[in-house]
Amino acid sequence: MTCIQFPSKVQSKIQFLVVFVSLISILTGISLAAHADVLGDVKKKGTLVVGVKDSLPPFGYVDEKSRDIVGYDIDMAKAVAKKLGVKLELKPVTSANRFPMLSEGNVDLVIATTTKNPERAAQVDFSHAYFLTGQKFIVAKGKVKTLQDLDTARIGTAKGSTSEKNVATSLPKAKVLSYDDYPQAVLALQQGKVQAVTTDEAILAGLLAKMPNKDKYEIPDLKISDEPYGIAIKKGEKGLVDVVNSTLLEMESSGDADKVFAQWFGPNSAAPLKRTFKITAEK
Amino acid sequence: MLNYQFDWHLILNGEYRQWLLSGLWLTLKLATVSMILSFFLGLIIAVMKMSGQRFVRAGASVYLEVVRNTPLLVQIFFWYFGSFKLLPAAWNEWLNATNEFEFIAATMALTIYTSAFIAEDIRSGVRAIPKEQTEAGFSSGLSFLQVMRWIILPQAVRMTIPPLVNQFLNLAKNSSLAMTIGVAELTYQARQIESHTLKGFEAFTAATLIYLILSLVITGLMEIYNEKILKPRGAQA
Repeated sequence: MTCIQFPSKVQSKIQFLVVFVSLISILTGISLAAHADVLGDVKKKGTLVVGVKDSLPPFGYVDEKSRDIVGYDIDMAKAVAKKLGVKLELKPVTSANRFPMLSEGNVDLVIATTTKNPERAAQVDFSHAYFLTGQKFIVAKGKVKTLQDLDTARIGTAKGSTSEKNVATSLPKAKVLSYDDYPQAVLALQQGKVQAVTTDEAILAGLLAKMPNKDKYEIPDLKISDEPYGIAIKKGEKGLVDVVNSTLLEMESSGDADKVFAQWFGPNSAAPLKRTFKITAEK
Repeated sequence: MLNYQFDWHLILNGEYRQWLLSGLWLTLKLATVSMILSFFLGLIIAVMKMSGQRFVRAGASVYLEVVRNTPLLVQIFFWYFGSFKLLPAAWNEWLNATNEFEFIAATMALTIYTSAFIAEDIRSGVRAIPKEQTEAGFSSGLSFLQVMRWIILPQAVRMTIPPLVNQFLNLAKNSSLAMTIGVAELTYQARQIESHTLKGFEAFTAATLIYLILSLVITGLMEIYNEKILKPRGAQA
């Protein structure tokens, strides 16, 4: 009878692995006691920490002159901080890390072009929708008339967004390439590595406006989904959800919401859009 | 503060398990191809660096300094996005049409990056071989390349095995950077699962375990190769 005799070093590696795996399984079985009152903490420390995008005009980007992060999302954050009477601290997040940052308590709110959907709503709480847009494509001018034209195309987007999922549903044969962030997807489009860049129209408009050869590209009227943006809050923080929702509703009734929209998406902005929505109480 | 219920069922079944497995497969492909290529490229660079020709030596030095002293992420972006400006338009079109350019660019970056470190490891292995052997080879009428091929490298590479294991382990883990250009390897898939399910802890714990097992397998294989194949041969010689 033969048996495989591992060298002793290999044997000790196998032992180590067994110990490590059991350690992980013990650790993950434990869930520590909960402590849940972000609203109280925010008031106590006098600062509201909000996760925002910092390279996504006009929602959140670094202003060239002031070096501050500005945008539509930032104005929303300011309104919430003002309502609470606390200072505002902005923390840049990406599509991929915004939910872990929220669940680990690194940020109190995420206002970062976050689409509300049922899967996400099972993990975090959402405010009423504060912006409404739809998912479209940037493509070379004149190349794409119907969705079929993109049937087997290579399509770029950013990681961690709902965009990739929507494409997989509406264009199952297309190849989706998820880059780290939108600017790289746009670069890939300009170099012919992908035939389209897809995400929410409001973001696309901002990206197109910044492209150096923007007259060669367009956003055809092909919408594959509705994307309502919500402010994300850690699950179970009802107090904070109520404050955020009442802030949003007050902004709508006072006309501030209209003003903020006009500032970033109005006719004189880089990415003009029509305001086709009102912030209303949901559920 | 931590109040988190781990839910393994979701990611270890059906679609998401499939994603993890396909990510693992791509990581294995990326790591294996780059390992083999970087080993041979490293050998060539090491020999060039020790050559008697001044220009060959200088070329190898420039290669080593540039590759070792720039971040791998920048090199990946360079091969993927930067190559566009350097190559003729027809090549770019062809590369884009292959549908595999992401994988090719990532493999190139990983191979070139790792080869520089391997070359230095091999060179220190060569330095451990007594100089007299080279001289004896030359006086027997062998050329520089023959001396390297038949006398020095077989011994030097054997001595280089432990540092080579390190380079291969680094390579296997560095391959995760390929996700920045859309190569759907293990870390990319873990992120995808996170963004679809928000089960980031589970997805990344699973990915971490897979990387750990992968690293231990690489170490184990090299260990077995060393103990079972190299050592007995060395004893006979």
